[in-house]
This record gives sequence, structure tokens and C-alpha cells, in this order.
Amino acid sequence: MHMSNRSKWFGFIFVVPFLISFLVFWLTPLLYGVWISLHDFRLSVGNNGFIGLKNYVDILTPDTLYYNTFVNALKNTLMFIVLSVPPLVLISLALALLIEHLPKKLKTFFRTVFFLSYSISVTAVSAIYLWLFGANGGFINNLLLKAKMIEAPINWTGDQPYAWLVIVIATVWWTIGFNMLLFVNALDEVDGALYEAADLDGASAWHKFRFITLPEIRNISIFVMITTVIASFNLYGQSLLITRGGPAQSTTSLIMGINTTVFGNNQLGVGSAMALLMGIIMMVITGVQYFASYRSEKEEAPRPLEEKKRFKRAINLGPTNVNQQPAATTDKKEREL
Amino acid sequence: MRQKRTKSIILVTVASLLAVLFIFPLVWMVFTSFKTLSESLASASLLPREWTLANYASIFSASADSNMVQWTINTAIVTLIGTALVIFVDVLAAYALARLNIPGKKVILGIVVVALTVPGIVTLFPAFYLFKSVDLLDTYAPLILPYSAGTLGVFLIYNFLRSFPKELEEAAYLDGASQWQVLTQVIFPSIKPVVTTLGVVTFLAIYNDFLWPSLVTNSDEMKTLTLGVATLVQGSNFVNPAAMMASTVVATVPALLIFLWANKYFVKGVTNSGIK
Repeated sequence: MHMSNRSKWFGFIFVVPFLISFLVFWLTPLLYGVWISLHDFRLSVGNNGFIGLKNYVDILTPDTLYYNTFVNALKNTLMFIVLSVPPLVLISLALALLIEHLPKKLKTFFRTVFFLSYSISVTAVSAIYLWLFGANGGFINNLLLKAKMIEAPINWTGDQPYAWLVIVIATVWWTIGFNMLLFVNALDEVDGALYEAADLDGASAWHKFRFITLPEIRNISIFVMITTVIASFNLYGQSLLITRGGPAQSTTSLIMGINTTVFGNNQLGVGSAMALLMGIIMMVITGVQYFASYRSEKEEAPRPLEEKKRFKRAINLGPTNVNQQPAATTDKKEREL
Repeated sequence: MRQKRTKSIILVTVASLLAVLFIFPLVWMVFTSFKTLSESLASASLLPREWTLANYASIFSASADSNMVQWTINTAIVTLIGTALVIFVDVLAAYALARLNIPGKKVILGIVVVALTVPGIVTLFPAFYLFKSVDLLDTYAPLILPYSAGTLGVFLIYNFLRSFPKELEEAAYLDGASQWQVLTQVIFPSIKPVVTTLGVVTFLAIYNDFLWPSLVTNSDEMKTLTLGVATLVQGSNFVNPAAMMASTVVATVPALLIFLWANKYFVKGVTNSGIK
């Protein structure tokens, strides 16, 4: 249009800062990490030579040190995912539905309140929950003792299953506002005419939820689910600071295990291999979730309501919505990294 | 009508109770920071019986192993420069990708999207070792520079520009404006909302980052607030809830204030990262 060949390359200058940064701080570390993982690489003295896939073999050979570190940490991390993802998805949806049905004036206030804790650091979250659930002198124990509901203090952060309970509560409190916000936004987008039509047909609240709301927020639900699983994979600060990975390493997460391998055992090579394995596992699980939800959508029969909605969309020639974007699998939750 | 009113009273009550539950840990943090050590360990009530500023005095005192003032200065430097850098790099790149016919455009766009799907953990330790190799650990460089490699900002602004009408720019070109003039006088003003969103999200992400600063920082003088308070939590404050809450309040209040001030933009940022 206004482009001569010269201005074409002039335009390229604009992307140069980004490309340099991306090359130096993303692509190089990524490839370097693969290279390091194929070497006997010590944190202190550096490279001791090429060893092929030996680091990976070590990690995957039962009853070796690195196998135990990795598999134990993987098990714990999967445990945390199983414990934390359902409340993070379901309670956030419940909160969003609650906010959606509040009087208009109060919506913003409650949305802000439920989202507030998301702005603080994992350090602050951990400090607070460490002492709310402290064993000796913690606030909850003091309350329970005073109310004579328990006779001796509960070792919340040092005994299972309490240790997981505290970490899950802290995590839910910290990050649930993010998911809630995504659901609130999705609920706002549901066409009101669909509910009005259902009201005319005398549909119950449950039927409206099941046959209008759920299908309409389907995509965002998949997105919330996938990003929550990713975020829970990255468990680090909470279990480092609240339970110190205990009791008996039962809350030691993958990132903690990798950290120990690199800094505690001096094995940058093994640690890099573990990090790549963790990355691959995360991408595979994300892919499985994505394709499983895509397939189940295809198998579902088209619903009459869908047709109505499509018609509504076809005649709706409003301004382009800036929110209509393809999936981005990143979010602030990854800041734990 | 009456039934509707009853329903909304019930819902507001439920929401209020939940709100109290959500706010409680923060309120407890603030009040505990004003309790004496012995009271903080024995207390089963929210409010201090005896108010004291001793905890704040102790974390700011020269003798303590806490370096609050230096950590605050570091955090200000790292977050402000880091955020400015991310905005600068991302706006230029997104503008060129959305509006200019540059060579390699498709490849760069592909990279931006693919990079979003790769878990951060795979670059973290090699990046740390690269900084170690060039002897830049324990400096501001690793605490500031790597954030600009993130592709989310490019992605957000690119999408925003794509949905933004081109007419204004074309009119400016017809009036004889240069590419740079169009960028500074037409594009910048119109993308302000999405840039503010990116700024707030990035600011809080850098402010609250924990794992990365813990890898690239050794000395106490180079820590950020988030990292410094974490060492207090693991160290001298471990047995002292009152002092721990005082340091946590100091580290948390700036983030909370920024969040409340920019709530609208932050909400938008989260919304924009979603799909339909």
C-alpha cells in the first residue's frame, strides 16, 4: 500500500528489539536446555562431556536417586492437581453465577473483593496461611482451642492430610478470582434472548443452566480447566514456604524437585532433563484435554437453541468485539515460574 | 416482585458472607502486624488488645537481617524499568506485525503463538545458567531483561490492532504523515487502554515474581520485596507471626493499591487473555 521495498525493511526495525529479546532470553535458553540435558553438566564446574540420553535414562530407571526425586515430585504434583483443580473450577463458576445474579450496583464491588487476593505474591499468601494455620500459636488453632473444639493443637502444616488442605485452601483463596473473572465475562456474553425464550417455554432455573448457560460457556470452561491444570503443575512457592515440602517430602512439587537436583545435587544436566520432561508432560496433558473436549463437542448432536443463537449472531452486525481472540495458554498464574 | 426481592436479599447476604471470608486473611494480616509477639502467638481475636508499632520498627531497624528499604528500592527499579521495557518492545513489534508489510511476518506470528504454549519451566534453569556464565548473576540485568521475551503482550496488542479500524491511519498517510508520526500520534493514543492493561499485568507479574529472582539473586542487597520477605518467612521471622505480618504488609500494600487503582484495566487484561 504505502510500502516501497525500503520501507518494508524500515518496518522490520520495529520487531528487532522483540526478536533480540526473544532469541536471547527464550529461544537460546530453550535450545541450550536441550543441549545441557544431553551432557554430564555440573552447576559448579560446567560441562563434563556428551552422554547422550543418560540423564533421561537415569531419571526413568526405578530406584535411583533421580528417579525417586522426579517420580515422587510428579506424584505429589499430580495429587495437588487432583485436589486443587476441581474447587478452582467449580467454586469459581459458582462465584461467577452468584455475581451474575446480584443487583447491578453491587456486581463490581463483589467482583473486586473476590479478585483482590489475586494481586498479592505467593510469599504474602504463604506467610499469611503459615500463621493462620500455625501449629503452635497459629490463629485457627487458638480459636479452636478457645472454643474447646479441640484439646491439643492440630499440626496443620506438618501432618497429612492437613498439609495438603492448607496448601489447597491457600491456593484457592489466592487464584480463584482469576477463573471467576473469566466466567463472569463469559456469562455476560450469553445472549439474554435465549433466557427470555426459555422463560416463555416455562423452563426451570436448572434447565436454563444446563441447556443454555453450560453450552454457551463451554469454550471458556475448557480454557479455565486447561490453564488451571497448568498453573497447578507449577506449584512451588506455597509448598516451599508453608510446608517446606513436608511432611516426609509429601508436598515436594516438581519444580522443588528440579531445584534440589540443580542446586542441592549440583546436577544442572539432570535438572534440565527433568524440566524438559515436566514441560513435555504438561504439553501432553494440555493436548489431551484440548482434543478430548474438542471431540466430545463434535459428538454432541446440534441443539435447537444453537440454531436460534446462530441466527441471532447472523443478524447482529455490531462493532467487532476486541475480546474475540484465539486461545492464549498463558496468564498471570504462570508467574509462579 | 416480592419473591424476586427476597431472592436478591438472600443472594446479597450470601455474597457478603463470602466477601468477609475472602477479606479475612488480609484483615488478619494487618491487625496481627500491630500485635505484640506474645499476643500474636496466643491471640484468638482479630483486633490487638495492645497496639504496637514495634514489629515495623524491628523490620526496618539496621540490626535486623531484613533490608526493607533496599528491597523496596530494588523492587521499584526492577518493576518500573521492566514494565517500560516490555511495553516498548511489545508495542513496536505488535504494530509492525499488525500494520506493516514486513519480511518474515508469518514466521514471527507463528513463533509468538507457539511460544505461548511452551511451559516456562523449560527455559528457566538454562537462562539462569546463561546469566551465570556471563557473570551477571546478582545484578539488575536478569531481574529486568528476560521479561521482555514474553510473547503475551505482542499477542494482546496485535489482536487489539487487528480489530481496530485502519481509516484514521490511512487518512494520516494521505495528509503526508510519516510512519513514525502515525505510530506516535495515531496508534499510541488509540491503543492506550490495552497498553495500560499490559502495563498493569506486567507490573504485578514482575512485582510478585518469586522463583526467577530467587535463582538469579545471591546477596541480600539485590533482593526484591517478594524474595526478601520470603527469606524472612524462612528465616528470622519463622517463629514470629507479628513481625512476619508486618513485613508482609509492607510488601503487599503497594501491590494491593496498584491493583485497586488499576482494577478496571487488570480485569480487562484477564478478560483479553481468554477465549470465547
